[in-house]
Amino acid sequence: MSPHLSTDRHRAAAGDRVTGPPTPPSLAVRLAGVTLASPLVLASGVMGLSASSLERVAAAGAGAVTTKSCGLEERQGHPCPAILPFAHGLLNAVGLANPGLDEMAAEIAAFQARTPVPLIASIFAKNEAGFAEAAGRLLERVTPALLEVNVSCPNVASEFGQPFAADADACGRITAAVKARARGIPVAVKLSLQCPSLAHVGRACQDAGADALTAINSVGPGMLIDIDVRRPILANQVGGLSGAAILPLAVRAVWDLFQAVTIPIIGTGGVTRPEDALQLILAGATAVGIGTGIYTGGLELFAATNAFLADRLAHGGLPSLDALRGAAHG
Amino acid sequence: MADTMQTVPILEVIAHHAGLKSFLLPPVLEAEPGQFVTVWLPGVDEKPFALSGRRPHALEITVKAVGPFTRRLLEARPGDRVGLRGPFGRGFSLTGGAVLVGGGIGNAPLRFLAQRLDEAGLPFSWLAGARQAADLPFEAYLQRDPRVRIFTDDGSAGTAGPVTVGLATALASGPAAVVCGAGPEPMLLALREAARRAGWRAELSFERYMKCGIGLCGQCCLDGSGLRLCVEGPVLDEAAMQGVTEWGLPHRGPSGRRPSAGPPSR
Repeated sequence: MSPHLSTDRHRAAAGDRVTGPPTPPSLAVRLAGVTLASPLVLASGVMGLSASSLERVAAAGAGAVTTKSCGLEERQGHPCPAILPFAHGLLNAVGLANPGLDEMAAEIAAFQARTPVPLIASIFAKNEAGFAEAAGRLLERVTPALLEVNVSCPNVASEFGQPFAADADACGRITAAVKARARGIPVAVKLSLQCPSLAHVGRACQDAGADALTAINSVGPGMLIDIDVRRPILANQVGGLSGAAILPLAVRAVWDLFQAVTIPIIGTGGVTRPEDALQLILAGATAVGIGTGIYTGGLELFAATNAFLADRLAHGGLPSLDALRGAAHG
Repeated sequence: MADTMQTVPILEVIAHHAGLKSFLLPPVLEAEPGQFVTVWLPGVDEKPFALSGRRPHALEITVKAVGPFTRRLLEARPGDRVGLRGPFGRGFSLTGGAVLVGGGIGNAPLRFLAQRLDEAGLPFSWLAGARQAADLPFEAYLQRDPRVRIFTDDGSAGTAGPVTVGLATALASGPAAVVCGAGPEPMLLALREAARRAGWRAELSFERYMKCGIGLCGQCCLDGSGLRLCVEGPVLDEAAMQGVTEWGLPHRGPSGRRPSAGPPSR
């Protein structure tokens, strides 16, 4: 039997169960007290430098958008090549390029003046005090729906030392410091796989007051070498791995965190097809980040994934994604 | 996938003027006029360039000294290896009756367009402008072709005056078609306006600071529409130019911040 016929039969069976006018399923999710019309979130680092860019992604179907990670000072980032496609994904070492908090605050304000889609502001810093100061300074100027704390950028290690993400205690301290300056805005901590136990780090963040976890950041760092000039291709030599190659790592990370914490998870990493987003939801994600997937799937990936998820709900006779979240755990 | 890096030896270097050269490279990729490729100098940086021509056994790019990267590239010699990726973005359409309008180094991608128009047997005219003769690539070639009119601000080649002087005549000379422009943004905006008034289409090649070429880094997203110049451009038609609020402003730099004044550098 063809998949198409099987789908039709499934649809008919679902329809039979409905009595009265069918209620269209809702893709809306609650994320740390914030309602997203779709679980799809633009991940930090992609198309996140300006209000107009973020607006375009929101219009494409994202339920929330995340800014590029922003720090206390303007940074030019690394020279190019900074973003390098290969057969199974991307390697990137942009180097936390950002216009500085004040400029980013103006972009956030411009975005929020024009669109109601929730905005997640991503911040980074060199140390615990820097995170607190960055949160404080940004939130004096704007009120994002969520604050995302990037403790895990993998490609600026020589400058910033070991990523905090490897150290559960440090993640907890940063979380508490940011929470103290967050003015009641929910705080998500963006985690990295580069740690002995993701569950341990996730619990430390939850215990310190984190309202959500974003998992995972790009992986690695990795390296690609040009075989003719015999040098690393990225100007920074090493960079974070993203794209299809890391989907299994992201699914596993969300799975582990779902068992370890009770706060919601923004499952991020390797989503290049609509089906990938559902995998992360089944592993336990409340929301799903899309970033690198825009490279191969275009901005259309948001609408296609929304349609796919809505179709799945309709076929299953399910009113919302609640019934699918974490369903793979049995 | 041509977005991955391929390094190739420079086949030949052609000097036009001081600080203005063309480089012939093995044809490891194909691009249409107006699309761009990135050129990597190992250990230095990587920057976008539109092709200036396609020869039977070579791609050609043309480079003017405008910053540290281009100055280093201009020192490169045959046999030196550079990295190529691309093609990226959208280029010019091939339309008969086109009027090509170039400003300085902007005449380089138009030469590739002229080459393709010739191959397709499509008629065109070309207004080639520059501040001075020394800023004009392919000057000898341009002088020979009767379809080309040269304009320089200082009169050191062709007619003295801005390239837009010749535009009204060109737009009145035939049935409405398309103006294909590449060069400084003020010139492009003047072309846009002139084309709109004359009822011609415009296809204009814009520049912004770019890091990825694949629509992810956000550096080249235009304020107002969010259009990604590296994917939906760099050649824009009137519909694609609509809604943009940053025309004529200084470009966002590598940090993403838009400087309050001063020219962009590369």
